[in-house]
Amino acid sequence: MDWAEPRNCREWLFRSFALRPILTILLIFGILFSELRFDWIEQMLGAFLVNTNAGRPQSGAIWEISRQTETARRTLERIVTDRQASQREARNAGSFIEISDGLAPDQGVMLLPDDFRRLYLELPAPIAQEIISPIELLNVFSEDRFTRTYFEKQANGLQVYFLDAENRVLRRLQINADLLELIAQNERSVDGTLDNLPKFKNRIYPADQFLNALESLPDDSRRNVLPQPERLLAIAGRIVRVGISDETISGNIELGFEINAGASMRVVFIPGREWAVWQIRSKLEGKKVETTPFFDSVP
Amino acid sequence: MGLFQKTVRLFRLAFFSILLLSGLTAVLLAGVFFLALKDLPRVPEPLSRIIETPPTEIFAATGERILIIGGREPVPLNRVSPGFLQAVIATEDHRFWEHHGINKIRILKALWVTLFEPGKIQGASTITQQLSKNLFFSFKRSYVRKFQELFVALQIESQYTKREILETYVNQIPFGVGALGIEQASRTFFDKSAIDLNLAEAALLAGLPKSPTRYNPYLYYERAKSRQQTVLQRMVAAGYITSEQADAGASQELKLRQKPAGARTGSYYLDLVIKYLEERYGPEIVYHGGLKITTTIDLPLQSLAVASLQKGLANLERDLYSPAGGKSAGVPAPETFRPQGALVVIETTTGALKALVGGRDYFESEYNRAIQNQRLPGSGFKPFLYYAAFEKLNLNPASVLVDKPVVIPVAGAKDWAPENFEKRFEGPVVLKRAFTNSINTIAAQLVELVGPQDVIKTARRCGIKSRLTPVYSVALGTSGVSPLEMASAFAVFANSGNYFEPFWVSRVEDAYGRVIDEHIVSGEKVLDKNIVYQVVDMMRGVLDEGTGSVIRRMGFDFPAAGKTGTTDGYKDAWFTGFTPTLSTSVWVGFDRDINLRTQQGGGFTGSRAAAPIWAEFMLKASEGEPYREFPIPDDIRFEQVDPVSGCRAVSLSGESVRVALRKGQRVCEADRNSNSEKFESP
Repeated sequence: MDWAEPRNCREWLFRSFALRPILTILLIFGILFSELRFDWIEQMLGAFLVNTNAGRPQSGAIWEISRQTETARRTLERIVTDRQASQREARNAGSFIEISDGLAPDQGVMLLPDDFRRLYLELPAPIAQEIISPIELLNVFSEDRFTRTYFEKQANGLQVYFLDAENRVLRRLQINADLLELIAQNERSVDGTLDNLPKFKNRIYPADQFLNALESLPDDSRRNVLPQPERLLAIAGRIVRVGISDETISGNIELGFEINAGASMRVVFIPGREWAVWQIRSKLEGKKVETTPFFDSVP
Repeated sequence: MGLFQKTVRLFRLAFFSILLLSGLTAVLLAGVFFLALKDLPRVPEPLSRIIETPPTEIFAATGERILIIGGREPVPLNRVSPGFLQAVIATEDHRFWEHHGINKIRILKALWVTLFEPGKIQGASTITQQLSKNLFFSFKRSYVRKFQELFVALQIESQYTKREILETYVNQIPFGVGALGIEQASRTFFDKSAIDLNLAEAALLAGLPKSPTRYNPYLYYERAKSRQQTVLQRMVAAGYITSEQADAGASQELKLRQKPAGARTGSYYLDLVIKYLEERYGPEIVYHGGLKITTTIDLPLQSLAVASLQKGLANLERDLYSPAGGKSAGVPAPETFRPQGALVVIETTTGALKALVGGRDYFESEYNRAIQNQRLPGSGFKPFLYYAAFEKLNLNPASVLVDKPVVIPVAGAKDWAPENFEKRFEGPVVLKRAFTNSINTIAAQLVELVGPQDVIKTARRCGIKSRLTPVYSVALGTSGVSPLEMASAFAVFANSGNYFEPFWVSRVEDAYGRVIDEHIVSGEKVLDKNIVYQVVDMMRGVLDEGTGSVIRRMGFDFPAAGKTGTTDGYKDAWFTGFTPTLSTSVWVGFDRDINLRTQQGGGFTGSRAAAPIWAEFMLKASEGEPYREFPIPDDIRFEQVDPVSGCRAVSLSGESVRVALRKGQRVCEADRNSNSEKFESP
């Protein structure tokens, strides 16, 4: 139907108050009023947003905090796990070397005094003496305040702190790199014969000759050449030859015991005190033996 | 064309314009909706996820919790005082129970005010919108952000009940002073649970979220009270309470907790702890990791330290000349013309920091003068000089030098001619007397003999880490150091030459109590105990008969030693001293380049400005403590000597001075004219 402009006021009024415009206006006002009264647009939008919630990004402050909390939790968990692993490894360690190897530089581990005692008693007497004398250790253990031992790996070895309950240091010990090296040698063996090891060149002796010479030394010297003969006894096989190293480490000289285990040959290394090894070497080479220790590292 | 037709056309134009405009607005709104929808954040389920961040807690050495970082203490609505809920609804959103996320009438009103009343801005955010903003959006303002905030509010309203929304809201709003959520706020401000808040307290707390700093009742009590009254009036308007109840609430006295956790006590200290933790573990772990940190702070000592410093500075201000307005007496000077101070307390046998105050008031200035301020220590540096001289030249406290005008040539610079504070010369004098009276010319002769490098080496051995310039005047304290360094370095003298690195965190655990880190209290022998004792004995003389004798006059009679320090022009006043257990350093001065002048034109020395603060603190800190002497090494013996000749005193009366001598050191006999240890400087 063609629309024509109202020509006069009457027609205009008539058209304005016709059913259709009134219904349209009522509809518009109805919509507006119902929205104001019932908030249906908000509810509709809200329902739409609830339905699309799962597909939206986890962004905004609360999610950021959530992520940071998760990262912090994971980082702390890693720190604690590493710490506990170090602790466990250290508790099960068979030697100070194993403790040192299990720690990163400047990392430390807290153990009980008995853990230190156990590791200390594993050491050959001369090395143990070098770390702390048994009498001094007895003294420390007799203190009520001594509750924990802290091991810290440092550039120059392993630092050991004896602590009271408030982490105050009662005594500090240094197991330096040389001593750790000695401890390592004390536990070391390699497959093969002494001929493959240049440091023993020209100082390799038949076993019987070496052991006879050892037997002829005074008790004190014998103990310092071979502090733990039971270690050799525990090894299956027969000692064939003994070598004396040309290197001195921390007042000790390494001895190499070549052992024939039937199917294979191997060399077991044991450090002896320098002054005592010099005595047996003199004996082996037929020189006059100076029985008084001539180094200051008297046990 | 008739008038009628013109009118009809105008109407028609207007009608179609409005129609077009409405259509465009609808299209625009739809566009905005989809634009805002593009990166609209996901709402978590359940909404209580916001409280899952474990709090990091900081504890004092004595076990009290002193700060909670992050985390919340959520409480269900039935554990919150109804008065608080009504107050917060009346203040923030009185149609909360009726609307569906937005208050359209309020929005229109706010729009009208914003558009037609220039300079005015009216907020229209409902509680749900505020929650939406706090949970997901930064404070950066943009129209898209505003719409996003609104849409998330609509979703929250559709997804959760009104009670869930209100519960989440009251458990996350910041109230200031580190309190997040109503339970923490109630405990922080009133030391009670949220359910126990009375009307006055509830109204005060409900007024804080608008601006937690501006309405902080500890700082601006009157402003906070005024806001409380506004809240009460809104409650009346909303019909929650009667006018009489509002008046009763307004007139009720508020009993604020005296020391809100983490607020005033130890805030400089806590800054130091948090900085340390952030550097060691990173902010993420500190603020979101739920750490349990045990510090070394001793809360009673910390409170004493704060009170002593504030009292000392107030006393000082009474006599202080203020450059801002002539005399400061009676009239508070502007902040920049008020003196500042710092006080640090170290446990000598461990290095544990027991108390630290970095300024007069943390809320006036967060600048930590105890650690960040590198101020000249003046004569406070002399113990390092005397130790170096005793060690290098085998001098002793009975050695004699002549107090006379001294000019020391300096290569490539002006000659150095230090003066005595008293502007007079005493002639020959034993070193102990020279030390206790802080004679600069003797110190200058000593540093010329020893060399500045050895003085610096001694200071370094004691843990001084600041940059020290290797010039002669370094012995008179012309290189800046912090009070923390001074307290720590003097602890070496208190501890027979053993140095303990100062520390403030002794243990760090995770949220489950598993140890992350613990401090090993390990000392190192850095100085010879016999020489140390000789210096300590001279430092005791400073308190007993020297420049620090004000301390004895104030009644502190425990064995103690120390040294005053005053710099040129009275810019810095120091006293650092120790007992066998605590080493305490006090600095007083201005942040700006202003002298500590008295109203009569004189100056404030370390003895006058800093030593009384030290004494005030130590008097109270030592109450009930056993009387402990400094241990005397076996190789030390004492002699009474004449203060001028340094020879053994004929009688013990009069002017004789008791000196500590090491094995092999001896003094001349009185009948001889010369001192066997007399030392002539070149």
